[in-house]
Amino acid sequence: MANARTDLMQGTLELLILKTLSRDSMHGYGIAQQIHAAVDDLLKIEDGSLYPALYRMEERGWITSEWGVSENNRRAKFYKLTRAGRKQLEGERANWERVSQAITRILQTA
Amino acid sequence: MKGAMGRLFERFGNEGTTREIDEELRFHLEQLTQAYLQQDMSLEEAKGAAVRRFGNVERIKGQCLAIGRRSRPFLVALKSFLIFMLLAGVVVRIRSTDLDIRHLGDLLIAVPILSRLFLYVRDLNPSTFLSKPETVSPLRLNEDVQPLFKAYDQGMLTPVERLISDK
Repeated sequence: MANARTDLMQGTLELLILKTLSRDSMHGYGIAQQIHAAVDDLLKIEDGSLYPALYRMEERGWITSEWGVSENNRRAKFYKLTRAGRKQLEGERANWERVSQAITRILQTA
Repeated sequence: MKGAMGRLFERFGNEGTTREIDEELRFHLEQLTQAYLQQDMSLEEAKGAAVRRFGNVERIKGQCLAIGRRSRPFLVALKSFLIFMLLAGVVVRIRSTDLDIRHLGDLLIAVPILSRLFLYVRDLNPSTFLSKPETVSPLRLNEDVQPLFKAYDQGMLTPVERLISDK
């Protein structure tokens, strides 16, 4: 059963992945490391849950993948943002900022 | 030729997708294990910590497999080809008077129907149902960390905002 207090909005993980991939193409492990580092462990995520999200995003055409060689010479699958993904990122970011501003405004006035 | 046929049959089934997912998840687990080994953990501890951080490997694999199988462009092309074959069979069956050619029409009708039936039965795999989008985000606030002093940085940005911000 999900804890209502610690749940985050659905789609937040996709937003974080899109943003992480907007800088460079990366394998799943790299994406997980970037997200963990960026959020200072304030957000909890099982690394594995990235993969169904990545596969869904690829299905929607937001990202593409291809096999390459990792920094330690291992075969790894790299994900890259597509044009549709970049557009999605902009939309999601604008949406997040709108929601965030609205909630902040309510919290300040209430 | 033999290799190409092998690849075709591999793609027709799930072996290719399963193998790719296995390899991808194994890479992640091995990288995590390496990272924990560098923190002076024993191999056993490192493997355990990697699996804990990764989550339920079989569940994740099932979800990825269901999505990967559904989204393969090859399957879309195959299904289109089967429809085309079926229509061609129907046309041959109707228009031809030659018995041998009509048998060819029967074959052209039977192959796509049986193939489509095979694909349908294969898709009845329960893991297909695990691929539905999550109803809640897999992200959670970490209750072990006190967010009062760290939830906002100097620029008054939350961790998520900090990550998506270009500043």
